[in-house]
Amino acid sequence: MRRRLRRALLAGIGGLYLLSVPWYRSGGETGGSVFGLPDWVAVAIGCYAAVAVLNAAAWLLTDIDEDGT
Amino acid sequence: MSFGQLGVVALVVYVAGLAGIAAVARRARRDASPADHFLAGRELGVFVLFLTLYATAYSGNSLLGYPGEAYRRGFSWIMATGFMMSIVVAFHALVPRLRPVAVREGFVTPGDWVRHRFGAEPAGGALRLAVAVLMIVALANFLFAQLKAMGVMAEYVTGGIVSYEMGIGLLAATVLFYETLGGMRAVAWTDAGQAILMLVGLSALLAWLLGEAGGIASLSQAVGAVRPEALEVPNAREKANWFSTIVLMGLASVVYPQAIQRIYAARNGRTLRRSMALMTFMPITTTLVVTLIGLAAIPRFADLGGVEADSVMPRLLEQWAAAGPAAEVAAVLVFLGALAAIMSTADSVLLSLGSMLAEDLLGRAHRDAAATRLGKRIAAAVMVAMAVLALVARDVTLWGLIELKMELLIQCVPVFLLALHWRGLRAGPALAGVVVGSLLAVGGVVFGEKRPAGIHIGVLGLVVNFAIAAGLSLRRSR
Repeated sequence: MRRRLRRALLAGIGGLYLLSVPWYRSGGETGGSVFGLPDWVAVAIGCYAAVAVLNAAAWLLTDIDEDGT
Repeated sequence: MSFGQLGVVALVVYVAGLAGIAAVARRARRDASPADHFLAGRELGVFVLFLTLYATAYSGNSLLGYPGEAYRRGFSWIMATGFMMSIVVAFHALVPRLRPVAVREGFVTPGDWVRHRFGAEPAGGALRLAVAVLMIVALANFLFAQLKAMGVMAEYVTGGIVSYEMGIGLLAATVLFYETLGGMRAVAWTDAGQAILMLVGLSALLAWLLGEAGGIASLSQAVGAVRPEALEVPNAREKANWFSTIVLMGLASVVYPQAIQRIYAARNGRTLRRSMALMTFMPITTTLVVTLIGLAAIPRFADLGGVEADSVMPRLLEQWAAAGPAAEVAAVLVFLGALAAIMSTADSVLLSLGSMLAEDLLGRAHRDAAATRLGKRIAAAVMVAMAVLALVARDVTLWGLIELKMELLIQCVPVFLLALHWRGLRAGPALAGVVVGSLLAVGGVVFGEKRPAGIHIGVLGLVVNFAIAAGLSLRRSR
Protein backbone atom coordinates (compact mmCIF):
# COMPACT_ATOMS: atom_id res chain seq x y z
CA MET A 1 0.00 0.00 0.00
CA ARG A 2 2.79 2.41 0.98
CA ARG A 3 4.67 1.53 -2.16
CA ARG A 4 1.62 2.00 -4.39
CA LEU A 5 0.81 5.35 -2.79
CA ARG A 6 4.43 6.46 -3.23
CA ARG A 7 4.34 5.55 -6.92
CA ALA A 8 1.05 7.45 -7.36
CA LEU A 9 2.61 10.51 -5.71
CA LEU A 10 5.65 10.32 -8.00
CA ALA A 11 3.39 10.02 -11.06
CA GLY A 12 1.47 13.08 -9.84
CA ILE A 13 4.75 14.97 -9.55
CA GLY A 14 5.57 14.12 -13.18
CA GLY A 15 2.18 15.47 -14.25
CA LEU A 16 2.67 18.68 -12.29
CA TYR A 17 6.07 19.23 -13.91
CA LEU A 18 4.50 18.93 -17.37
CA LEU A 19 1.75 21.34 -16.38
CA SER A 20 4.20 23.88 -14.95
CA VAL A 21 5.55 24.76 -18.41
CA PRO A 22 3.09 27.12 -20.17
CA TRP A 23 2.50 24.89 -23.23
CA TYR A 24 -1.15 25.98 -23.07
CA ARG A 25 -0.27 29.57 -24.04
CA SER A 26 1.27 31.01 -27.21
CA GLY A 27 4.70 32.61 -26.95
CA GLY A 28 4.65 36.40 -26.58
CA GLU A 29 1.26 36.57 -24.79
CA THR A 30 1.14 38.28 -21.40
CA GLY A 31 -2.14 36.82 -20.13
CA GLY A 32 -4.02 37.94 -17.05
CA SER A 33 -2.79 38.57 -13.55
CA VAL A 34 -3.16 36.23 -10.54
CA PHE A 35 -1.97 37.42 -7.10
CA GLY A 36 -0.12 40.23 -8.87
CA LEU A 37 1.85 37.84 -11.10
CA PRO A 38 1.36 36.91 -14.77
CA ASP A 39 -1.13 33.98 -14.64
CA TRP A 40 1.28 31.48 -16.28
CA VAL A 41 3.85 32.33 -13.59
CA ALA A 42 1.25 31.81 -10.84
CA VAL A 43 0.33 28.42 -12.37
CA ALA A 44 4.01 27.38 -12.40
CA ILE A 45 4.47 28.44 -8.75
CA GLY A 46 1.28 26.58 -7.77
CA CYS A 47 2.57 23.45 -9.53
CA TYR A 48 5.94 23.64 -7.78
CA ALA A 49 4.30 24.20 -4.37
CA ALA A 50 2.17 21.09 -4.99
CA VAL A 51 5.27 19.16 -6.10
CA ALA A 52 6.94 20.08 -2.79
CA VAL A 53 4.03 18.71 -0.76
CA LEU A 54 3.70 15.49 -2.80
CA ASN A 55 7.45 14.92 -2.83
CA ALA A 56 7.75 15.38 0.94
CA ALA A 57 4.95 12.83 1.40
CA ALA A 58 6.67 10.45 -1.04
CA TRP A 59 9.93 10.72 0.92
CA LEU A 60 8.18 9.97 4.20
CA LEU A 61 6.73 6.84 2.53
CA THR A 62 10.12 5.74 1.17
CA ASP A 63 11.60 2.55 2.60
CA ILE A 64 15.35 2.48 2.93
CA ASP A 65 16.25 -1.09 3.86
CA GLU A 66 18.80 -0.32 6.52
CA ASP A 67 16.27 1.66 8.62
CA GLY A 68 16.87 1.17 12.28
CA THR A 69 20.55 0.40 11.92
CA MET B 1 31.75 53.56 10.60
CA SER B 2 31.33 53.33 6.81
CA PHE B 3 29.56 50.43 5.10
CA GLY B 4 32.89 49.09 3.84
CA GLN B 5 34.51 49.23 7.29
CA LEU B 6 31.49 47.51 8.84
CA GLY B 7 31.84 44.85 6.15
CA VAL B 8 35.51 44.29 6.97
CA VAL B 9 34.71 43.86 10.69
CA ALA B 10 31.87 41.44 9.89
CA LEU B 11 34.12 39.48 7.53
CA VAL B 12 36.85 39.14 10.15
CA VAL B 13 34.36 38.00 12.84
CA TYR B 14 32.82 35.51 10.39
CA VAL B 15 36.17 34.01 9.36
CA ALA B 16 37.24 33.75 13.02
CA GLY B 17 33.96 31.96 13.82
CA LEU B 18 34.60 29.43 11.05
CA ALA B 19 38.10 28.78 12.38
CA GLY B 20 36.66 28.21 15.88
CA ILE B 21 34.14 25.65 14.58
CA ALA B 22 36.93 23.86 12.71
CA ALA B 23 38.98 23.61 15.90
CA VAL B 24 36.03 22.06 17.78
CA ALA B 25 35.41 19.65 14.88
CA ARG B 26 39.06 18.65 14.95
CA ARG B 27 38.75 17.70 18.63
CA ALA B 28 35.60 15.66 17.87
CA ARG B 29 37.32 13.40 15.34
CA ARG B 30 37.72 9.73 16.27
CA ASP B 31 40.61 8.72 14.02
CA ALA B 32 42.49 9.74 10.87
CA SER B 33 40.59 7.40 8.54
CA PRO B 34 39.03 8.70 5.31
CA ALA B 35 35.56 7.62 6.55
CA ASP B 36 35.97 9.87 9.59
CA HIS B 37 37.52 12.81 7.69
CA PHE B 38 35.42 12.72 4.50
CA LEU B 39 32.12 11.38 5.96
CA ALA B 40 32.20 12.57 9.62
CA GLY B 41 32.21 8.94 10.79
CA ARG B 42 28.78 8.42 9.11
CA GLU B 43 27.07 10.11 12.06
CA LEU B 44 25.20 13.11 10.58
CA GLY B 45 21.75 13.52 12.17
CA VAL B 46 18.60 15.07 10.61
CA PHE B 47 19.25 18.69 11.60
CA VAL B 48 22.88 18.90 10.47
CA LEU B 49 22.36 16.64 7.44
CA PHE B 50 19.41 18.71 6.22
CA LEU B 51 21.24 22.00 6.68
CA THR B 52 24.46 20.76 5.08
CA LEU B 53 22.51 19.35 2.11
CA TYR B 54 20.74 22.68 1.84
CA ALA B 55 23.86 24.84 2.15
CA THR B 56 25.69 22.64 -0.34
CA ALA B 57 22.89 22.69 -2.92
CA TYR B 58 22.43 26.45 -2.72
CA SER B 59 25.66 28.05 -3.75
CA GLY B 60 27.19 31.11 -5.33
CA ASN B 61 25.31 30.06 -8.45
CA SER B 62 22.00 30.31 -6.60
CA LEU B 63 22.83 33.52 -4.78
CA LEU B 64 24.49 35.45 -7.61
CA GLY B 65 23.87 33.45 -10.79
CA TYR B 66 20.12 32.90 -10.39
CA PRO B 67 19.19 36.53 -9.60
CA GLY B 68 21.41 37.48 -12.55
CA GLU B 69 19.59 35.06 -14.84
CA ALA B 70 16.17 36.25 -13.56
CA TYR B 71 17.30 39.79 -14.39
CA ARG B 72 18.29 38.68 -17.93
CA ARG B 73 15.31 36.43 -18.73
CA GLY B 74 12.42 37.89 -16.71
CA PHE B 75 9.56 35.87 -15.19
CA SER B 76 10.32 32.69 -17.17
CA TRP B 77 13.19 32.14 -14.72
CA ILE B 78 10.51 30.84 -12.38
CA MET B 79 11.66 27.55 -13.95
CA ALA B 80 14.59 27.64 -11.50
CA THR B 81 12.26 26.86 -8.58
CA GLY B 82 11.10 23.79 -10.51
CA PHE B 83 14.49 22.50 -11.48
CA MET B 84 15.95 22.93 -7.98
CA MET B 85 13.02 20.88 -6.69
CA SER B 86 13.55 18.25 -9.39
CA ILE B 87 16.86 17.39 -7.72
CA VAL B 88 15.09 16.19 -4.57
CA VAL B 89 12.55 14.35 -6.75
CA ALA B 90 15.25 12.60 -8.79
CA PHE B 91 16.94 11.37 -5.60
CA HIS B 92 14.05 8.88 -5.29
CA ALA B 93 15.72 6.88 -8.06
CA LEU B 94 19.08 6.85 -6.29
CA VAL B 95 18.87 6.94 -2.50
CA PRO B 96 16.73 3.88 -1.62
CA ARG B 97 18.96 1.61 -3.72
CA LEU B 98 22.40 3.14 -3.20
CA ARG B 99 22.29 3.84 0.54
CA PRO B 100 21.94 0.20 1.75
CA VAL B 101 24.83 -0.95 -0.48
CA ALA B 102 26.96 2.01 0.59
CA VAL B 103 26.46 1.21 4.29
CA ARG B 104 27.07 -2.51 3.80
CA GLU B 105 30.21 -2.02 1.72
CA GLY B 106 31.58 1.05 3.54
CA PHE B 107 31.65 3.38 0.51
CA VAL B 108 33.48 6.71 0.83
CA THR B 109 33.51 8.06 -2.75
CA PRO B 110 31.14 7.78 -5.74
CA GLY B 111 33.80 5.66 -7.46
CA ASP B 112 33.33 2.99 -4.76
CA TRP B 113 29.92 2.22 -6.25
CA VAL B 114 31.41 1.84 -9.74
CA ARG B 115 34.16 -0.40 -8.33
CA HIS B 116 31.60 -2.50 -6.45
CA ARG B 117 29.15 -2.85 -9.35
CA PHE B 118 31.53 -3.20 -12.31
CA GLY B 119 34.86 -4.12 -10.68
CA ALA B 120 34.76 -7.75 -11.78
CA GLU B 121 34.39 -6.87 -15.49
CA PRO B 122 37.36 -6.13 -17.80
CA ALA B 123 36.12 -2.61 -18.65
CA GLY B 124 35.27 -1.84 -15.01
CA GLY B 125 38.53 -0.01 -14.26
CA ALA B 126 38.25 2.19 -17.36
CA LEU B 127 34.62 2.98 -16.53
CA ARG B 128 35.55 4.03 -12.99
CA LEU B 129 38.29 6.26 -14.38
CA ALA B 130 35.97 7.84 -16.96
CA VAL B 131 33.33 8.59 -14.31
CA ALA B 132 35.99 9.99 -11.96
CA VAL B 133 37.38 12.28 -14.68
CA LEU B 134 33.91 13.64 -15.56
CA MET B 135 33.04 14.22 -11.90
CA ILE B 136 36.38 15.85 -11.12
CA VAL B 137 36.12 18.19 -14.13
CA ALA B 138 32.60 19.14 -13.03
CA LEU B 139 33.74 19.71 -9.44
CA ALA B 140 36.72 21.83 -10.51
CA ASN B 141 34.34 23.93 -12.63
CA PHE B 142 32.04 24.25 -9.61
CA LEU B 143 34.90 25.32 -7.35
CA PHE B 144 36.02 27.88 -9.93
CA ALA B 145 32.50 29.37 -9.96
CA GLN B 146 32.42 29.58 -6.14
CA LEU B 147 35.80 31.31 -6.04
CA LYS B 148 34.66 33.89 -8.59
CA ALA B 149 31.53 34.51 -6.52
CA MET B 150 33.61 34.81 -3.31
CA GLY B 151 35.77 37.51 -4.89
CA VAL B 152 32.73 39.49 -6.09
CA MET B 153 30.98 39.31 -2.71
CA ALA B 154 34.07 40.20 -0.67
CA GLU B 155 34.69 43.24 -2.87
CA TYR B 156 31.11 44.46 -2.47
CA VAL B 157 30.69 43.74 1.25
CA THR B 158 33.82 45.72 2.13
CA GLY B 159 33.09 48.55 -0.28
CA GLY B 160 36.27 47.74 -2.22
CA ILE B 161 38.57 47.76 0.86
CA VAL B 162 39.11 44.06 0.16
CA SER B 163 39.63 43.68 -3.61
CA TYR B 164 38.28 40.82 -5.78
CA GLU B 165 41.76 39.27 -5.83
CA MET B 166 42.33 39.64 -2.08
CA GLY B 167 38.87 38.26 -1.37
CA ILE B 168 39.56 35.12 -3.36
CA GLY B 169 42.92 34.63 -1.63
CA LEU B 170 41.62 35.21 1.91
CA LEU B 171 38.42 33.18 1.62
CA ALA B 172 40.00 30.31 -0.33
CA ALA B 173 42.64 30.04 2.40
CA THR B 174 39.90 30.05 5.08
CA VAL B 175 37.96 27.23 3.39
CA LEU B 176 41.13 25.23 2.90
CA PHE B 177 42.06 25.73 6.57
CA TYR B 178 38.83 24.54 8.14
CA GLU B 179 38.26 21.75 5.63
CA THR B 180 41.77 20.38 6.18
CA LEU B 181 41.53 20.73 9.94
CA GLY B 182 38.04 19.39 10.59
CA GLY B 183 37.00 17.46 7.45
CA MET B 184 33.30 16.71 6.86
CA ARG B 185 32.44 17.48 10.52
CA ALA B 186 33.76 21.05 10.19
CA VAL B 187 32.16 21.40 6.76
CA ALA B 188 28.76 20.13 7.95
CA TRP B 189 28.74 22.22 11.14
CA THR B 190 29.80 25.41 9.37
CA ASP B 191 27.25 24.61 6.63
CA ALA B 192 24.51 24.43 9.26
CA GLY B 193 25.32 27.90 10.59
CA GLN B 194 25.79 29.27 7.09
CA ALA B 195 22.42 27.86 5.95
CA ILE B 196 20.57 29.66 8.75
CA LEU B 197 22.39 32.91 7.94
CA MET B 198 21.47 32.53 4.26
CA LEU B 199 17.77 31.84 4.93
CA VAL B 200 17.34 34.78 7.28
CA GLY B 201 19.33 37.12 5.06
CA LEU B 202 17.44 36.36 1.86
CA SER B 203 14.04 36.66 3.51
CA ALA B 204 15.00 40.04 4.96
CA LEU B 205 16.21 41.35 1.59
CA LEU B 206 13.04 40.22 -0.21
CA ALA B 207 10.86 41.79 2.47
CA TRP B 208 12.67 45.11 2.00
CA LEU B 209 12.43 44.94 -1.81
CA LEU B 210 8.71 44.11 -1.79
CA GLY B 211 8.10 46.82 0.79
CA GLU B 212 9.91 49.36 -1.39
CA ALA B 213 8.08 48.21 -4.53
CA GLY B 214 4.65 48.25 -2.82
CA GLY B 215 3.95 44.50 -3.15
CA ILE B 216 4.22 41.85 -5.83
CA ALA B 217 1.59 43.40 -8.14
CA SER B 218 3.42 46.74 -8.16
CA LEU B 219 6.70 44.93 -8.74
CA SER B 220 5.26 43.12 -11.78
CA GLN B 221 3.94 46.44 -13.14
CA ALA B 222 7.30 48.13 -12.63
CA VAL B 223 9.09 45.27 -14.43
CA GLY B 224 6.55 45.42 -17.30
CA ALA B 225 6.96 49.19 -17.62
CA VAL B 226 10.71 48.92 -18.09
CA ARG B 227 10.89 45.63 -19.98
CA PRO B 228 7.48 44.35 -21.21
CA GLU B 229 8.98 41.18 -22.71
CA ALA B 230 9.98 40.04 -19.19
CA LEU B 231 6.27 39.30 -18.52
CA GLU B 232 5.63 37.47 -21.79
CA VAL B 233 5.02 33.73 -22.13
CA PRO B 234 8.21 32.17 -23.51
CA ASN B 235 8.24 30.96 -27.13
CA ALA B 236 8.21 27.26 -28.12
CA ARG B 237 11.99 26.96 -28.06
CA GLU B 238 12.20 28.50 -24.58
CA LYS B 239 9.42 26.24 -23.31
CA ALA B 240 11.37 23.19 -24.54
CA ASN B 241 14.45 24.64 -22.84
CA TRP B 242 12.44 25.06 -19.60
CA PHE B 243 11.56 21.37 -19.52
CA SER B 244 15.03 20.36 -20.69
CA THR B 245 16.57 22.37 -17.83
CA ILE B 246 14.37 20.54 -15.30
CA VAL B 247 15.63 17.21 -16.69
CA LEU B 248 19.25 18.38 -16.92
CA MET B 249 19.44 19.82 -13.41
CA GLY B 250 17.40 17.07 -11.76
CA LEU B 251 19.35 14.16 -13.20
CA ALA B 252 22.81 15.72 -13.21
CA SER B 253 22.55 16.95 -9.62
CA VAL B 254 21.71 13.44 -8.45
CA VAL B 255 25.25 12.38 -9.33
CA TYR B 256 26.93 15.37 -7.67
CA PRO B 257 29.77 13.70 -5.76
CA GLN B 258 29.24 15.90 -2.69
CA ALA B 259 25.54 14.94 -2.61
CA ILE B 260 26.35 11.24 -2.96
CA GLN B 261 28.84 11.51 -0.09
CA ARG B 262 26.18 13.06 2.13
CA ILE B 263 23.96 10.06 1.38
CA TYR B 264 26.82 7.91 2.67
CA ALA B 265 27.38 10.18 5.68
CA ALA B 266 23.81 10.07 7.07
CA ARG B 267 23.42 8.38 10.46
CA ASN B 268 20.67 6.06 9.13
CA GLY B 269 17.92 5.71 6.54
CA ARG B 270 15.32 7.48 8.65
CA THR B 271 17.59 10.51 9.01
CA LEU B 272 18.11 10.63 5.27
CA ARG B 273 14.39 10.28 4.50
CA ARG B 274 13.43 13.12 6.83
CA SER B 275 16.20 15.38 5.55
CA MET B 276 15.02 14.82 1.97
CA ALA B 277 11.41 15.58 2.95
CA LEU B 278 12.56 18.90 4.41
CA MET B 279 14.86 19.67 1.46
CA THR B 280 11.97 19.55 -0.99
CA PHE B 281 10.55 22.82 0.42
CA MET B 282 13.79 24.76 0.16
CA PRO B 283 13.41 25.87 -3.49
CA ILE B 284 10.30 27.78 -2.39
CA THR B 285 12.13 29.56 0.43
CA THR B 286 15.34 30.14 -1.53
CA THR B 287 15.17 29.82 -5.34
CA LEU B 288 11.80 31.54 -5.62
CA VAL B 289 13.09 34.28 -3.32
CA VAL B 290 16.30 34.89 -5.30
CA THR B 291 14.25 34.86 -8.55
CA LEU B 292 12.00 37.61 -7.17
CA ILE B 293 15.10 39.49 -6.02
CA GLY B 294 16.52 39.30 -9.57
CA LEU B 295 13.20 40.52 -11.02
CA ALA B 296 13.11 43.40 -8.53
CA ALA B 297 16.45 44.51 -9.95
CA ILE B 298 14.99 45.04 -13.47
CA PRO B 299 13.32 48.40 -12.75
CA ARG B 300 16.25 49.48 -10.53
CA PHE B 301 19.15 48.90 -12.92
CA ALA B 302 18.98 49.54 -16.64
CA ASP B 303 20.93 47.44 -19.12
CA LEU B 304 23.30 45.33 -17.06
CA GLY B 305 24.48 43.04 -19.82
CA GLY B 306 26.40 39.75 -19.82
CA VAL B 307 28.48 38.98 -16.77
CA GLU B 308 27.51 42.31 -15.12
CA ALA B 309 24.02 40.95 -14.41
CA ASP B 310 25.55 38.44 -11.97
CA SER B 311 26.18 41.38 -9.64
CA VAL B 312 22.53 42.46 -9.24
CA MET B 313 22.35 40.95 -5.73
CA PRO B 314 25.30 42.90 -4.29
CA ARG B 315 24.14 46.03 -6.10
CA LEU B 316 20.72 45.72 -4.45
CA LEU B 317 22.36 45.22 -1.08
CA GLU B 318 24.40 48.39 -1.57
CA GLN B 319 21.18 50.30 -2.25
CA TRP B 320 19.58 48.77 0.84
CA ALA B 321 22.56 49.73 3.00
CA ALA B 322 22.17 53.37 1.93
CA ALA B 323 18.64 53.48 3.47
CA GLY B 324 19.95 54.05 7.04
CA PRO B 325 22.11 52.61 9.86
CA ALA B 326 19.75 49.67 10.66
CA ALA B 327 19.49 48.79 6.97
CA GLU B 328 23.27 49.00 6.72
CA VAL B 329 23.74 46.37 9.45
CA ALA B 330 21.01 44.18 7.91
CA ALA B 331 22.63 44.46 4.46
CA VAL B 332 25.98 43.39 5.87
CA LEU B 333 24.30 40.35 7.46
CA VAL B 334 22.71 39.42 4.13
CA PHE B 335 26.09 39.81 2.46
CA LEU B 336 27.51 37.38 4.98
CA GLY B 337 24.58 35.03 4.32
CA ALA B 338 25.34 35.08 0.61
CA LEU B 339 29.04 34.62 1.26
CA ALA B 340 28.18 31.76 3.60
CA ALA B 341 26.22 30.04 0.83
CA ILE B 342 29.17 30.32 -1.50
CA MET B 343 31.73 29.12 1.02
CA SER B 344 29.58 26.24 2.19
CA THR B 345 29.44 24.91 -1.35
CA ALA B 346 33.15 25.50 -1.96
CA ASP B 347 34.08 23.54 1.17
CA SER B 348 31.89 20.57 0.19
CA VAL B 349 33.26 20.55 -3.34
CA LEU B 350 36.81 20.70 -2.04
CA LEU B 351 36.21 17.81 0.34
CA SER B 352 34.76 15.66 -2.47
CA LEU B 353 37.56 16.63 -4.83
CA GLY B 354 40.21 15.57 -2.33
CA SER B 355 38.66 12.16 -1.68
CA MET B 356 37.92 11.45 -5.35
CA LEU B 357 41.33 12.50 -6.61
CA ALA B 358 43.08 10.34 -4.01
CA GLU B 359 40.87 7.28 -4.25
CA ASP B 360 39.04 7.20 -7.59
CA LEU B 361 41.72 8.71 -9.80
CA LEU B 362 44.94 7.64 -8.10
CA GLY B 363 43.44 4.42 -6.73
CA ARG B 364 44.49 4.70 -3.06
CA ALA B 365 42.61 2.27 -0.80
CA HIS B 366 40.09 4.23 1.27
CA ARG B 367 40.85 2.41 4.52
CA ASP B 368 44.40 3.71 4.30
CA ALA B 369 44.98 6.81 6.50
CA ALA B 370 47.61 7.95 3.98
CA ALA B 371 44.75 8.41 1.49
CA THR B 372 43.33 11.09 3.80
CA ARG B 373 46.63 13.00 3.81
CA LEU B 374 47.00 12.62 0.05
CA GLY B 375 43.42 13.81 -0.46
CA LYS B 376 44.06 16.92 1.64
CA ARG B 377 47.24 17.77 -0.29
CA ILE B 378 45.64 17.30 -3.68
CA ALA B 379 42.62 19.37 -2.62
CA ALA B 380 44.97 22.19 -1.59
CA ALA B 381 46.72 22.06 -5.00
CA VAL B 382 43.39 22.15 -6.86
CA MET B 383 42.18 25.05 -4.71
CA VAL B 384 45.29 27.07 -5.58
CA ALA B 385 44.96 26.25 -9.30
CA MET B 386 41.27 27.24 -9.40
CA ALA B 387 41.97 30.43 -7.41
CA VAL B 388 44.58 31.47 -9.99
CA LEU B 389 42.11 30.70 -12.80
CA ALA B 390 39.39 32.74 -11.07
CA LEU B 391 41.79 35.71 -10.97
CA VAL B 392 42.42 35.67 -14.71
CA ALA B 393 39.08 34.47 -16.15
CA ARG B 394 36.48 36.94 -14.87
CA ASP B 395 34.32 37.24 -18.00
CA VAL B 396 32.31 34.02 -17.71
CA THR B 397 28.69 34.10 -16.49
CA LEU B 398 27.89 31.84 -13.54
CA TRP B 399 24.89 30.28 -15.32
CA GLY B 400 27.10 29.51 -18.32
CA LEU B 401 29.44 27.61 -16.00
CA ILE B 402 26.58 25.67 -14.39
CA GLU B 403 25.21 24.51 -17.74
CA LEU B 404 28.62 23.38 -18.97
CA LYS B 405 29.19 21.39 -15.78
CA MET B 406 25.76 19.74 -15.91
CA GLU B 407 26.07 18.75 -19.59
CA LEU B 408 29.09 16.62 -18.61
CA LEU B 409 27.94 15.39 -15.22
CA ILE B 410 24.64 14.09 -16.59
CA GLN B 411 26.59 11.55 -18.68
CA CYS B 412 27.40 9.65 -15.44
CA VAL B 413 23.69 9.05 -14.76
CA PRO B 414 23.35 5.59 -16.42
CA VAL B 415 26.33 4.29 -14.41
CA PHE B 416 24.36 5.06 -11.25
CA LEU B 417 20.63 5.07 -11.96
CA LEU B 418 20.46 2.43 -14.71
CA ALA B 419 23.01 0.22 -12.94
CA LEU B 420 21.11 0.45 -9.63
CA HIS B 421 17.82 -0.57 -11.25
CA TRP B 422 18.96 -3.06 -13.91
CA ARG B 423 21.33 -5.92 -13.28
CA GLY B 424 21.82 -6.43 -17.02
CA LEU B 425 23.93 -3.28 -17.51
CA ARG B 426 27.54 -4.18 -18.43
CA ALA B 427 30.69 -2.10 -17.93
CA GLY B 428 31.79 -2.01 -21.60
CA PRO B 429 28.48 -0.71 -22.97
CA ALA B 430 28.16 1.73 -20.05
CA LEU B 431 31.65 3.06 -20.85
CA ALA B 432 30.79 3.37 -24.56
CA GLY B 433 27.64 5.30 -23.61
CA VAL B 434 29.53 7.66 -21.29
CA VAL B 435 32.22 8.35 -23.93
CA VAL B 436 29.76 8.98 -26.80
CA GLY B 437 27.43 11.07 -24.63
CA SER B 438 30.33 13.18 -23.35
CA LEU B 439 31.76 13.69 -26.84
CA LEU B 440 28.36 14.80 -28.05
CA ALA B 441 28.02 17.26 -25.17
CA VAL B 442 31.54 18.66 -25.60
CA GLY B 443 31.14 18.76 -29.39
CA GLY B 444 27.90 20.72 -29.05
CA VAL B 445 29.59 23.27 -26.79
CA VAL B 446 32.72 23.55 -29.00
CA PHE B 447 30.76 23.89 -32.26
CA GLY B 448 28.17 26.30 -30.81
CA GLU B 449 25.24 23.84 -31.04
CA LYS B 450 24.47 23.81 -27.32
CA ARG B 451 20.67 23.73 -27.47
CA PRO B 452 19.18 22.28 -30.65
CA ALA B 453 15.46 23.22 -30.60
CA GLY B 454 15.93 24.45 -27.03
CA ILE B 455 16.98 21.03 -25.66
CA HIS B 456 20.36 20.91 -23.90
CA ILE B 457 22.95 18.98 -25.87
CA GLY B 458 23.83 17.15 -22.64
CA VAL B 459 20.24 15.85 -22.36
CA LEU B 460 20.38 14.63 -25.97
CA GLY B 461 23.79 13.11 -25.20
CA LEU B 462 22.22 11.30 -22.24
CA VAL B 463 19.50 9.81 -24.46
CA VAL B 464 22.18 8.46 -26.84
CA ASN B 465 24.27 7.36 -23.84
CA PHE B 466 21.31 5.41 -22.37
CA ALA B 467 20.48 3.83 -25.73
CA ILE B 468 24.07 2.65 -26.27
CA ALA B 469 24.51 1.35 -22.69
CA ALA B 470 21.19 -0.51 -22.66
CA GLY B 471 21.27 -1.65 -26.31
CA LEU B 472 24.79 -3.11 -26.22
CA SER B 473 24.20 -4.71 -22.79
CA LEU B 474 21.07 -6.44 -24.10
CA ARG B 475 22.95 -7.64 -27.20
CA ARG B 476 25.72 -9.11 -25.05
CA SER B 477 23.30 -10.95 -22.81
CA ARG B 478 21.76 -12.79 -25.80
